[in-house]
Amino acid sequence: MSNITINTNIKKLLFIGAGANDFGREAEHDAAIYQVMPELRGHGIDVFVIDENPYALSLESLAATSFWQPLTVDNIKMIIQANQIDTVVPLFGGEASLRIWAEVVQSWSHGDGALPNTLGLSIDMLLKVNNIPAMTAFMADNGLPVIKNYVLKAQDEANELLRTLQLPLMVRALHPNQTNTRHIIERLDDFEAAIHLAKSQSVTQEVILSRAINGLKEVSLEVLRDVRGNKMQIGASEDMDPIGIHTADSLSVSPILTIQDQLISRMRDYAFRVADMLQLQGIMHVQFAVDDDTDKIYIIKVSPYIDQMASRMALATGYPTMLVAMNLAMGVPLEAIVLPHNFGPQAAMMEPMMDHVVVKLPVFPFGELAETGIHVNRQLNSVQKSVGSTLGFGRTFIEALEKAIRSAHFNNASFSPTNMAHINDDELIQQLIHPQDNRVLLLIEAIKRGYEIDELAELTAIDEFFFHQLQHLHQLESEIEADADSITSLKRGKKYGLSDGLLARFWHTDFKIIRTLAQTNKIEVTYKAVEPSAGEFPENARQYYATFESENESMQVAEDAILVIGSGAFRMGDAASGGYATTITMSELHRLQHPTIIMNNNPSDATLLPHLADKQYLEPLEISDVMKVVELEQPKTIIIPGNRRKLIRALRELGQQVVILPKEKHTPGGPDENESEFALNLFFDGEEVYPINITQHMAGEMRVIAPVNAMPSTLTFTALENPGVYQIIWYERTVLWRQAVDFTRIQEASWLRPMPFGQIAFLTKAMCVEWLRLTIRAALHELTAQDRTLLANVHDWVIPEPIAIVAADVNYRLHLQPSEVIDGTRFEIGVSVSDYGRS
Amino acid sequence: MANKEVLDNASLQRALTRITYEIIERNKGGQDLVLVGIKTRGEFLAHRIANRLEQLEGVKIPVMAIDITNFRDDVLNHDDSLGLNEEEKTNIADKNIVLIDDVLFTGRTIRAALDALIHIGRPNTIALAVLVDRGHRELPIRADFVGKNIPTAQNEKIKVFVQEIDGRDAVEIVH
Amino acid sequence: MQRHLILEDGTVFQGLGFGAPATTFGEIIFHTAMTGYQEIITDPIYDGQMIVFAMPVVGAAGIHAEAYESVKPTIRGMIVHDLAEVSVNRQRRMNLDRFLKQHNIPGLYQVDTRQLIRHLRETGPQKATIVDYADEHAVDQLVATVLTNKQVQNTATPKPYANPGRGRHIVVIDFGLKHGILRMLGDYDANVSVLPYTATVEEVLTLDPDGIILSTGPGDPRTLPESVLTLIRVLQTKVPMLGIGLGHELFAMANDAELMPLPSEHHGMNHPIQEIISQQIFYAMQGQGYAVDETTINRKKLFVTYRDLVDGAVQGLRHREFPAFSVQFFPDAAPGPLEATAVFADFFETVEDYVEHYNQY
Repeated sequence: MSNITINTNIKKLLFIGAGANDFGREAEHDAAIYQVMPELRGHGIDVFVIDENPYALSLESLAATSFWQPLTVDNIKMIIQANQIDTVVPLFGGEASLRIWAEVVQSWSHGDGALPNTLGLSIDMLLKVNNIPAMTAFMADNGLPVIKNYVLKAQDEANELLRTLQLPLMVRALHPNQTNTRHIIERLDDFEAAIHLAKSQSVTQEVILSRAINGLKEVSLEVLRDVRGNKMQIGASEDMDPIGIHTADSLSVSPILTIQDQLISRMRDYAFRVADMLQLQGIMHVQFAVDDDTDKIYIIKVSPYIDQMASRMALATGYPTMLVAMNLAMGVPLEAIVLPHNFGPQAAMMEPMMDHVVVKLPVFPFGELAETGIHVNRQLNSVQKSVGSTLGFGRTFIEALEKAIRSAHFNNASFSPTNMAHINDDELIQQLIHPQDNRVLLLIEAIKRGYEIDELAELTAIDEFFFHQLQHLHQLESEIEADADSITSLKRGKKYGLSDGLLARFWHTDFKIIRTLAQTNKIEVTYKAVEPSAGEFPENARQYYATFESENESMQVAEDAILVIGSGAFRMGDAASGGYATTITMSELHRLQHPTIIMNNNPSDATLLPHLADKQYLEPLEISDVMKVVELEQPKTIIIPGNRRKLIRALRELGQQVVILPKEKHTPGGPDENESEFALNLFFDGEEVYPINITQHMAGEMRVIAPVNAMPSTLTFTALENPGVYQIIWYERTVLWRQAVDFTRIQEASWLRPMPFGQIAFLTKAMCVEWLRLTIRAALHELTAQDRTLLANVHDWVIPEPIAIVAADVNYRLHLQPSEVIDGTRFEIGVSVSDYGRS
Repeated sequence: MANKEVLDNASLQRALTRITYEIIERNKGGQDLVLVGIKTRGEFLAHRIANRLEQLEGVKIPVMAIDITNFRDDVLNHDDSLGLNEEEKTNIADKNIVLIDDVLFTGRTIRAALDALIHIGRPNTIALAVLVDRGHRELPIRADFVGKNIPTAQNEKIKVFVQEIDGRDAVEIVH
Repeated sequence: MQRHLILEDGTVFQGLGFGAPATTFGEIIFHTAMTGYQEIITDPIYDGQMIVFAMPVVGAAGIHAEAYESVKPTIRGMIVHDLAEVSVNRQRRMNLDRFLKQHNIPGLYQVDTRQLIRHLRETGPQKATIVDYADEHAVDQLVATVLTNKQVQNTATPKPYANPGRGRHIVVIDFGLKHGILRMLGDYDANVSVLPYTATVEEVLTLDPDGIILSTGPGDPRTLPESVLTLIRVLQTKVPMLGIGLGHELFAMANDAELMPLPSEHHGMNHPIQEIISQQIFYAMQGQGYAVDETTINRKKLFVTYRDLVDGAVQGLRHREFPAFSVQFFPDAAPGPLEATAVFADFFETVEDYVEHYNQY
């Protein structure tokens, strides 16, 4: 290979993390950083990372020096100067990280020393990407199809535009102070309020107004570009829901099914031209609006950084996206990228192909909130309402859809197919036009009631294809329902991804009966590999999904493997903690050299990173799905979060050895405004209980306040069964931070519970003691003598620096418009660190 | 007024590629070929063409750069060296030279270069390759290899940008 | 209705029939492209073949007036995993199923196409048949069937015709031309004359072309008469020439190079192709069972211009003495990435250059 110049000036490289989780920001950035850091370390680069998120795995990586600090301009500058950082990578931290890095760059002064090099984009381009009107104008100047933006400050300017542009209009904030939201105005009555809101979100009090293009198809392309200007496409998806519904709230399908080649080729060409304009070295997500009646295409958003589309496509195709993106950012040409040995020699340069369908289904928090009596605006629009997502893998759209639904709602009865029967025709039409979270069921209901497909396609702006598919599903379900206990029907149902549970419901029986019926009639699940050549080349795949076909490709990975059951989508309350706990578990198993298998379906966290497991099953986590994998893999041990009680029981009945990660069924709530929650934190290793320390939790903030000098002698722990971190909780009416506590309260009103994963993440980082890893080691009887010494002495550790976690500034009002105040502990979305002692 | 791009990055690359192919066609294998770039941008273009020849044929073609600012017929005090050293001068003898410049305009620059090359080195043949031919010749000079013909008005200017010094590849008309 | 696909090696796949209920024989190959099924099944290069699609769901983009690569498709069968019935046709409710019925082509769906592709990648292409019953009789029939090698004769025009324009005059020698080439020539407003591959040097030069295109086409070029190679040898010295696909293979043969079967056939659009002179990588639609054997290239006549970086196969050639070149991949982007269309820009720049020089001398 000739002329390869790898930038050898990179000696000390800083990643800027994405910060606290929020709507639209799960753990995808942290996962990407966590994945590439060891590779950089392998190149002899000193890696540094700053993030404020207690769930950030990158902060716990041995491959980097980490700073758990609030993401502020001052903190970033200080780290750069104190460590002679020469290179900064904002692109892996996404939009938020890009914005703060732009602020650092703009405030950089002569006295600050040499400004580090930014990888991936030049400073010029970085600032341009951050400024929507400038970026739009830049694209228009280059002959690319965009929708014209108007920037304005005053309401009367807006009124003037209203008359020339006509409704619907889209309103956004210029230089947004936090997450950027788009509002679509369809009614004159909403106009002033929307302008006012957007102004309030803008640092400069300026608003961007443009014509809205509701009803067009929304398409995403993911592309790469290298230092030599070589470009390739590594993924594409289309949203079932038209423009007007936030893409995160849309049901998305990969590959693109309903759009013809000529339009897709044009979008690809546009995306490549944008990459060239930006002189990008790295990865970019481009969103398009497509009118396939008139063949018109508009570029609606350009994101030259890691986002959820990037991580979703990596999982959907099996292409080594993050490793390649990092290489490109460092200036390595596509041709020269060296990948880990399990990839083919040209894998980095081959555009990934798919021989399976992947459906992404958003997960909404409405159900959980409704259970506590909080009502929110459930109507989907251009402001994101979903908090997480799941993927369904299948060989048909229906199979993938069914599996995505089961992944998203494995413990939610609200997604039953008969749920919509009560709705009257007027309401039905209303909801077809103004869709809510349950629209898939609504569409099926409309088909049941005999609405014509043309009519529905017109009403909803959803492509005819999806109605044909849903009609097919409805037909299938009715035929199966009418044909109880038939083997032919069972076979058909299985082929389209219907679960044992659903079939059992149709036939008024138990899922175990269905399972036995399938087994005795040899209706066997087959697993297919997810690999980027679509069968063209022999693969060395680790990722599999289940389907019902003739050939099975998955063989038992090892006789003594440990199966880890993931926790699925990001949800309110659990927030990023489920993914955090699962990832740490896998990392520890890897360290202890156990062959590991993971089952999960969340595209936006680190649990499905390729290097963490010997094998992955991209599957729903219902009992029947888990059982199938268990039958094939015969794992030595299965690790499950404690809230999956039914699954634990079912596995134990089968004689499986189960290790439980202690976890409560529901995320506990937090203290209200005039009280404090105190916790005496404990570690149980299976035999003995070790006190850790005392934490105090006031609404919105938690601190470690004191060591445990003496354990109250009255405590007994006979109820404890599984090793793990626990806490004794009591409440006091105080809003002052305590220095010490009075244990007498424990006798009066206290209870024992597993420590929520979020607090474990906090204590791990604050104390530099890896509590989850200790839990795993204890559960597998692999605690070392060193561990025991640590546990015996940990109760009088003093936290070196005062540190606290605070609830992130999540704008529940903007996204959900709740009927009352949302408890930020029970319905946590994001948390961040506060160094209260320093300021 | 804004400049008008007449050759973008991709078409500029393609033009250089085509010139390279045509040089191969005319020179039947590239024996005794020497590329001579006229400073400043002609030199970079000459190196680009030499790189292309190397990728295709695996042989390194000698590249020289000449500076003819002191050798034009409208300049007194000729400096005969053209910025070439003695070794380079002898290397020109009996070779097939392709003279390379960015823009062909009146032809005076090329004429000066031709005079100088013949004077100091006695090459076998000399051919001319230019990225842009904008017309308005004042001398009977014609390019053998042209990237793009761009008809221009006398009062317009053609500006060639190259990655090596301008940070990008493009040709623009400056009004 | 349940139908069967039988391969020559005896393997049988079960599926449901769609399209025409016909029984057909053909060589079976697999295609990994994820878009452009309509262009692929109407491309004459697949004349007489059965195509297995890796794309999991086929048909959801409908059948479009602007996506025909020939008016009448001549493939022998289409094997997919899932079939969608979507219509975008204004006049009649035309979908993939009805389209195949109209052209008497059988389809098979609900086949484990991934298993079939993994099988074919090991065995290579083979004879196959789509039948109702997979009995011994059907297998015997398949074994006894000799597939035609007259694909070019089947698909190329027997008579000259014009596609007038106001630009340069381009003569296309037709070996089973796909519409994409004409569409690209239309983009340059070329004045096009399409001649049968049996045309003589005299007939071509009388038309006074500014450029010549050797078209794509199906099958093994070695079955064509020697006169085709003679035609190319003469024309390449007179007028700028571009060979595409089969035209590329013929251009190579006319200049002493030989063909070899590829170790594994490649039909798809995801392989990196490198333009050697600039080292740039791009992607293009490819469909090839043969490649030019690089060891047989006469370096005094030809040099390699493009290469597939996955299997190393030659993807482009150029003549050392004449403005004549060729590409193995399909630069008309129908279907496929638009970046490959730069080949036509190269061709037209060469044509312009030729026209200008011709006038000057």
